[in-house]
Amino acid sequence: MRAAANIPDGTPNRGKRTESKAASRKRFWKTFRNQKYLYLMSIPFVIWVFVFSYLPLWGWTMAFQKYKPARSFFEQEWVGFEHFKALFHDEQFLLSLRNTLAMSTMGLIAGFVFPILFAILLNEVRLSFFKRFAQTISYLPHFVSWVVAAGIVTKMLSTDNGLVNDVLLGLGLIHEPIQFMAKGHLFWGIVTLSDVWKETGWNAIIYLAAIAGIGPELYEAARVDGASRFRQIWHITLPGIRPTIIVLLIMSVGNLLNIGFEKQFLLGNNLVTDYSQVLDLYSLKYGLGMGRYSFGTAINIFNSVISVALLFTINGIFKRTTKESLL
Amino acid sequence: MESKRKRKTKASALLLVSALFVGLLAGCGGSGGNGAASKENGSGKEAAAGNDNSPITFSLFSADPSPNWTGMKDEIGKAITEKTGVTLDAEFAVGDPQQKVALIASSGEYPDLISAKNDISKLVDAGAMLDLTDLIDKYAPNIKKVLGDSIKRARYSDEDHAIYAIPTYAGVGQEYFQAGGGFELQHRAVAEAGYPEIRTVKDYENVIKNYIEKHPTDENGNKNIGLTLNADDWYMYITVTNPAFYTTGSPDDGEYAIDVDTQKVTYHFRRPAEKEYFRWLNHMNDIGLLDPESFVQKYDQYKAKIATGRVIGLIDQDWAYGDAEKALKAAGKFDQGYGHYPVTLTEEYKETSFWPTGFMAGYGIGISKDCKDPVRAIKFLDYLASDEGQVLLNWGIEGKHYKVENGKRVIPKEISDRKVNDATNFTKETGIGLYNTLGVHYGDGVKDPSGNYYTTNFPEQIQNSYNEVEKKTLAAYNVKSWRELFPKEEEFKVRPWGAAWNIAIPGDSEIVVLDNKLKDITWKRIPEAILAKPADFDKVWDAYMKDLEKAGVEKAETLREELVKQRVKLWNE
Repeated sequence: MRAAANIPDGTPNRGKRTESKAASRKRFWKTFRNQKYLYLMSIPFVIWVFVFSYLPLWGWTMAFQKYKPARSFFEQEWVGFEHFKALFHDEQFLLSLRNTLAMSTMGLIAGFVFPILFAILLNEVRLSFFKRFAQTISYLPHFVSWVVAAGIVTKMLSTDNGLVNDVLLGLGLIHEPIQFMAKGHLFWGIVTLSDVWKETGWNAIIYLAAIAGIGPELYEAARVDGASRFRQIWHITLPGIRPTIIVLLIMSVGNLLNIGFEKQFLLGNNLVTDYSQVLDLYSLKYGLGMGRYSFGTAINIFNSVISVALLFTINGIFKRTTKESLL
Repeated sequence: MESKRKRKTKASALLLVSALFVGLLAGCGGSGGNGAASKENGSGKEAAAGNDNSPITFSLFSADPSPNWTGMKDEIGKAITEKTGVTLDAEFAVGDPQQKVALIASSGEYPDLISAKNDISKLVDAGAMLDLTDLIDKYAPNIKKVLGDSIKRARYSDEDHAIYAIPTYAGVGQEYFQAGGGFELQHRAVAEAGYPEIRTVKDYENVIKNYIEKHPTDENGNKNIGLTLNADDWYMYITVTNPAFYTTGSPDDGEYAIDVDTQKVTYHFRRPAEKEYFRWLNHMNDIGLLDPESFVQKYDQYKAKIATGRVIGLIDQDWAYGDAEKALKAAGKFDQGYGHYPVTLTEEYKETSFWPTGFMAGYGIGISKDCKDPVRAIKFLDYLASDEGQVLLNWGIEGKHYKVENGKRVIPKEISDRKVNDATNFTKETGIGLYNTLGVHYGDGVKDPSGNYYTTNFPEQIQNSYNEVEKKTLAAYNVKSWRELFPKEEEFKVRPWGAAWNIAIPGDSEIVVLDNKLKDITWKRIPEAILAKPADFDKVWDAYMKDLEKAGVEKAETLREELVKQRVKLWNE
């Protein structure tokens, strides 16, 4: 952001379309010279991105082959879209797609609402000791690995002395312990809630930082005008962190299909596979796990294409409606 | 004031970002380090000259986990290095080895030695494995001696007679003295029932039912559990699906039942008898004897539950629940340990745990084409197969882990106690048990030229390892070991194909995908059927059968049958 502000001649020229190309090129070189250290510093990262994100794209060719290891590129047998056809005809795949989208959408909504709420509430706390204490406690679960977290969740929801069942029984709300982990239709909710427990505190940090960046003079002015705390939140805090929210939202929509599989794998069991199988797990099991390299690649290409499409769609929507966007 | 606050935010943001990058770089640095290390190993090439015992490091990948591996720093490891000059830089698969093997196959960089079990086919397809036939012939007299005629069973397939893996999992001439499977019951429960004959699932059920009726809770008021199963990932096979064929007269051929005479292959869940087995489990659930958490709990929860001593019955293998039983024994609760009973669905069936397979080649260790010195490698493997090597791997070092008294190998009391009670540390220190699947070896019950058994599993040794409560239970049934309760091997006809689960499947075969689809259906439907209301059981089962047919079960059977017939031809021509 600082870098952008250093280009004083960027904005005033916007209207002059008639300007010659040579001049603009000249200006580019001038900027380039001015900022040569910035460019220099970015080179390692450009290389990094190229090596790890662009070079592997060559591997996409595998999806159109009947790939066998240890053969050179020219010895591979080409099969066109056969793997994609097989993919779209597989019920398991469609089921995984549904589960992935459902869980990621639920996670997306919960993953925005709760941290933002939490950050705002925390920001309103005046007692600085309690504020810090609450914040630290809340982000601790982030550092617990999913393996452990899943163990805690299953134990809590267990019918054999599980805390949740004990409480519900004690309150007389139910008469028989409920097998939470065995009910497919509860699975998405369980995953989302455990994610909320684990990540709310951590995700709130970035919003807290954004809130801290809002000038206190705005609040002072609002107070002078007689705005209540709630009004201040509504008219200053929320609009103040809107850019952060939108940038994060666009990025996470791009990642809708890449939710990983740890949670689902660790919390799932055979009774709920219809609800717990996600794309990543599917591609691992039916792709690489069986040595079907080409099939696995086809799944990932599909993933990437959808992700890019989602990213551009949501970016376009925000560009139109709020004039704020990532690209 | 305002600017100060902003600066502070900025500084903390910067800190955060730099912390992220440091983490990133550290991650990269780590992998870079590994690369360097493997290169260093590569430079050991020059050191390998001819027939000597100069130090050499071979990298090894094994598809079985080995949590107690210390990098050959244990006593046996040091002895092996001293004798052969070889140090192993080993990597053991954690979790599902399939994916790891697939990665190795596609990377084009192979470890020197590879033990990949069934997944060897992926590596063979990639051209990664050396044909060992000539190497064995020239440099491995001990391997030839031990395997004898069985060496033809090590050949890869009917089309490709090369030997890519030396069979190191199965013991030659193996006799089974120990029964670790069947159905398990706590000693206190059978004692309370007055040691009745436990032959059918009804007998088994009655023992549990009577015990639970009399003792619904333990001394702390927690509920006792009749029977719990472990359905976490592949343990599903062990405690839920495999017992279905063991109890209905069909041996373990993976997910298929194969007629011993005609070699007709059936997906085993399609046998009518097995439906009745699962109906019995359904009934157990209905009357509340089956732990409702059976299909939800994870493996560690399952073990923790058993370790509380509240579980009366199990249907499992001792190696799977052994840790939990060890905890019970350590706490002195010997009567809550388990005995093994040859339970079947009805009296007409024989328990098939010990249906003989003949020598089971198939799983074993091979040498990759990247190996820097295949001759040294095969000589190393040959040393492990020598009499000296085998005694070392099984018994340990003379004077340290065993003594020779009047020409008999004896394990001193304090050593055998440590073996049982401090197993992990003992294994880590001595290395006993860590190297057994690396070398060709004789099985239990085979004697070496000195008249001693090669392995430490022989009848007297096993009987000595039982605790008092166990001995009492065994005495009540008039036997000396659990094995004696089970049908003898001679009662069955040897399967000419060994076992179907041990037949490697060609990498591009459709079976791989079909099998996985069928497995996914089965693992979903079986729990559903067991937990259904008894009235709905048939409905769920019919739907399950339909799903199987839709997924191509018949095709899978046909393809499997071809493989079995090829195996029969390869092994018996």
